[in-house]
Amino acid sequence: MAVRKPATPQPPAPPRGPESYGSAERQAAAYRGLIVKILFTSFVLVILLLYIMPLGYSFITSFKSKSQVSDVNAPVLPSARVTFDWEGESYEVYEVPIEGETRELALTVRRRDHAFFVDPQNPGAGEIRWEGRWRSLDPVYELAFQWGNYPTAFEFIDFLQLLRNTLFYAIVTTFAATSSAAIVAYGFARFRFPLKGLLFMVLISTIILPSQATLVPQYAVFFQFGWVGTWLPLIIPTFFSNAYNVFLLRQYFLTIPTELEEAARIDGAGPIRTFVQIILPQAVPALIAVSLFHFFFAWNDFFGPLIYLAGNDNLQPLSVGLFRFNGLYATEPQLIQAASVMTMIIPLLIFFFAQRFFMQGVVVTGVDK
Amino acid sequence: MEMLDAVQGARKTKARGWRRLTRAERREARWGYAFIGLWIVGFLTFYFLPMAASLVFSFFDFELTRPDEATFIGLDNWRKLLFEDPRVWQALRVTFTFALISLPIGMISALFLAVLLNSEHLIGKSLFRTLFYAPTMVPIIAGVLIWSGVLNPTTGWINQIIEAVTGLDAAGPNGIRWLNDPRIIYLSYVMIGFWAIGNAILYNLASLQGVPSELYEAAKIDGASWLRRLWSITLPMISPIIFYNLILSIFGLMQYFEVPYVLNTGTGEPDGTTYFYIVHFYRQTFQNLDMGYGSAIAWLLYIIAITITATLFATANRWVYYAGGNR
Amino acid sequence: MRRFAILLLALAFAGAAAAQTQIRWYVGLGAGSDVGVIPVQEEFVANFNASQDDIELILEIVDNDQAYDVLATQIAAGNPPDIVGPVGIRGRNAFPGIFADLTPYIEATDYDLSDFDPALVDVYNVEGEGQIGIPFAVFPSYITYNKTLFDEAGLPYPPHAYGEPYTTWEGETVDWDLAAMRDVGMLLTVDANGFDAAMPEFDNNNVVQWGFGEQWTDLRGRLAKFGAGTFVDENGDAIIPAHWAQGVQWLHDAMWVDGWIPNAPYSGSDFLAAGDLLASGNVGMVHTHLWYQGCCMAGFEDEWDLAAMPTGLTGVPVAKLHGDTFGITSASPNKEAAFEVLVAMFEPENMVTLSEIYGGMPARESLAGSYIASFGENNFPDRDVDWSVVTASLGYADSPSHEGPLPAFRDAEQLYIAFDQRLNNEADLDVGSELALLQAELQLLFDSVR
Repeated sequence: MAVRKPATPQPPAPPRGPESYGSAERQAAAYRGLIVKILFTSFVLVILLLYIMPLGYSFITSFKSKSQVSDVNAPVLPSARVTFDWEGESYEVYEVPIEGETRELALTVRRRDHAFFVDPQNPGAGEIRWEGRWRSLDPVYELAFQWGNYPTAFEFIDFLQLLRNTLFYAIVTTFAATSSAAIVAYGFARFRFPLKGLLFMVLISTIILPSQATLVPQYAVFFQFGWVGTWLPLIIPTFFSNAYNVFLLRQYFLTIPTELEEAARIDGAGPIRTFVQIILPQAVPALIAVSLFHFFFAWNDFFGPLIYLAGNDNLQPLSVGLFRFNGLYATEPQLIQAASVMTMIIPLLIFFFAQRFFMQGVVVTGVDK
Repeated sequence: MEMLDAVQGARKTKARGWRRLTRAERREARWGYAFIGLWIVGFLTFYFLPMAASLVFSFFDFELTRPDEATFIGLDNWRKLLFEDPRVWQALRVTFTFALISLPIGMISALFLAVLLNSEHLIGKSLFRTLFYAPTMVPIIAGVLIWSGVLNPTTGWINQIIEAVTGLDAAGPNGIRWLNDPRIIYLSYVMIGFWAIGNAILYNLASLQGVPSELYEAAKIDGASWLRRLWSITLPMISPIIFYNLILSIFGLMQYFEVPYVLNTGTGEPDGTTYFYIVHFYRQTFQNLDMGYGSAIAWLLYIIAITITATLFATANRWVYYAGGNR
Repeated sequence: MRRFAILLLALAFAGAAAAQTQIRWYVGLGAGSDVGVIPVQEEFVANFNASQDDIELILEIVDNDQAYDVLATQIAAGNPPDIVGPVGIRGRNAFPGIFADLTPYIEATDYDLSDFDPALVDVYNVEGEGQIGIPFAVFPSYITYNKTLFDEAGLPYPPHAYGEPYTTWEGETVDWDLAAMRDVGMLLTVDANGFDAAMPEFDNNNVVQWGFGEQWTDLRGRLAKFGAGTFVDENGDAIIPAHWAQGVQWLHDAMWVDGWIPNAPYSGSDFLAAGDLLASGNVGMVHTHLWYQGCCMAGFEDEWDLAAMPTGLTGVPVAKLHGDTFGITSASPNKEAAFEVLVAMFEPENMVTLSEIYGGMPARESLAGSYIASFGENNFPDRDVDWSVVTASLGYADSPSHEGPLPAFRDAEQLYIAFDQRLNNEADLDVGSELALLQAELQLLFDSVR
């Protein structure tokens, strides 16, 4: 591939076809373009729905009450049984085929082969005996979203405190990890030095050894430093970059053409200025990607905070705090899902808005797509 | 000018010992060390000692809860590992079988989705990308509950959807047993694995956006079809990221642990198909409390993985294209 | 003079600071990590710290799922906690050797053990390790039955007293044994159309209510009701006791042939609350321990009561027992101070408070009588429950314990857990040959660690 000139945007070559025709044909072409877009988008939409279907399960469960979750007949959407209050007690309403028609009656007494009902519209008539098996009847439901699950979950685990801890951890480590990784990756990508290949393999090898194998000695090291019980074991190492980010950025830096750097060198710029003024601006999409990746990893990082913050409830992040719902005996699946949805909102919003920078980064580097 | 020539000359030659470098090359080398020095310090402080320690442990009879009574036993752990423990080879087989199935599916689907999400024909790109990335952000505890809920044979959504759409008797105790049928267990794990490709999609996307559009324009003028553009322009230009995804996926699959441990309780059921290598490691180290043997298990994995990685890096030049030149 | 005063002051401060020993109390191997329980433990810690100046007690709570791993890491890395508890027999067996022998501290403080049942104290005297704990709380087990479901079926309730016969719905008087329980269970099991398991139209693929279930236990726990036993004999060889082999077949038939005990696809589903059988309201009789009443029945709406365990295959009823204690780690540098904390925990008043939140009965014989009545009062004031079943069940504890030691404990557990999974998931399991396979695997395992 020939050396390309750096980015003065060239006007696209004149497209063949539609422009040379009249306006009617141009309209038709635009119309066709729209159809293509709609079809394509629908196709992707179907894939998306299949992909996040389990999240739909999570979302819907978060609006159910615990008893709804274990209700055999419950419809998919959060619903509650319609009940009728009579003489101080609540009775569930069923659809009963009686005397040739189907009526909605409240079940008062259940027996195996017969049952007693009361008519909500006519409670004064007393109990009606019905022959048959009540289980074969359809219960009557009404939509009932348990909005209360969210505030309950919020207070149960002191969500705000956990959120603060999580934000602190995620923001600090993201900044530290991305900047240190960029520095180290630049070294590996643009310089030649003895043992470089070996050192790079050593870097990669730090992620090959399963972290559980080094857990005990690493814990012992931090214990000797006196850092156990604090955030330090989790934060300080990120200032020295980790292999995932360095590897990724190194790959990315290698894709950046060297013309601008060579030009800068001719002008007398040193490596640091080259790094800051030439490389970094061109690498913005990758830097954003690394930052986002690390942010979301830190947001849900679980085992590290668990080990080093064990017992320090007020320092723990959300991922560890959520386990308080998972008591030895008492599991509240609907609260766990509600808390999980709340946990995901901030990262999702960040991701949604950070995409602009993807596009912006594209403009800055002078290439467009 | 002299430096530029030296630098360009160095590009073509392999690294040589310090004595044989020119002054300019030495300056470059010093700068290189300076930039990576940050990592070297961190490595020596936080990683080197624990890694070396875990290797040393493998030569000891180290009971996890009695660290003071560890005794040196030489190569006994290694002998047991290589010759006397059939579960090691079973676990390796299981891990590699699953990797062979899961790796291509994962990488191709990540690339496929990234191309879709980058397309000019897509309306509402931001929203789609966010939603495709959302599963990556689900906290672990919720994820476990979600998948065991969705895959449950009786009330799980997947079986209920299948039954509603196709009329097959999929739900109920005689229905499809996603987590207990050895014939489809890997399919279930691959399904769960789809949820983890969000990061790979992200990297592919970033990389796709870095491909200069002039290349596509020039190709369009030359009459290249969509497929041809994909094959000759897109894939080579993003091959460094594909390489990255490949390496990382291999590591992830070799260390596959949480899913089988939580959803199949680490027993290896059904029929030993979920007895992954790190499940074996975990059981030896944290359940049998035999840290010495566990370390040997981990280091065997390390050796295998290093070999694979080194091979991949060595052959990378054949198919990975670095626009900035691989130095 | 001033210098002397300052020196004295400095010494006093240094002395005070140095004298405070820190004792870490690790909670999570057993009960104690549930949200409702934490404040009571924290209150105990606060009261203890306020009552004296020498010891600072620090509470460390880890969720049960991770508690074992975190504890192992802490001990291995040289940062062991001082006190671990409440920990049951299983928790203790999962970490052989981490607990210190308390005998020197018991003798040094002349601690009075007369208030404890000597047999129970002996359970905590492990060969080779010494007296590693003093019994703190016991959790007898029995049947909790759902009266609403019995009423709906028109069935008489099961007997409360051990030895009492059962009167069937047809008026017959029979012994309350496994066969009687099965008959009742079949009638309580109903499919979606309302047919019970005794009827020919019963559809085993569409069951919505079951007769009997085991709550949160493992294979040995399920087999205990057939008769006490374990998988290892005195010589260290693997055995499958005859009554357990029969029990496995019995369970298999119950789950897959008759369908009155839920199998795995059912018990993992939403309408059995993913394993919380009693709370789902869809099981008629459940084998539960006292801690279940303590933790999880507060919001239960149906009417319920307690019943005796049926006579098993060895001619006697067996009501498996859980027992918790607090241990001092052998690696702890402050064992004397830790023992002081234990003494405070074992004070009758504290014992009652803590036992109640853990859902157990305090092991002090002097407290047992009054305790269970006040437990009922405090937790279920509006219900009329026959708490005598709890105390009676204490007399039918399983020995050897279903949580008793096994060579290579965790690995052995994994082997029979895998077997249990097959039992619960496969309809056409060949029970005989699978049991033989299990025994062979266990034998291999036991031989490898001899």
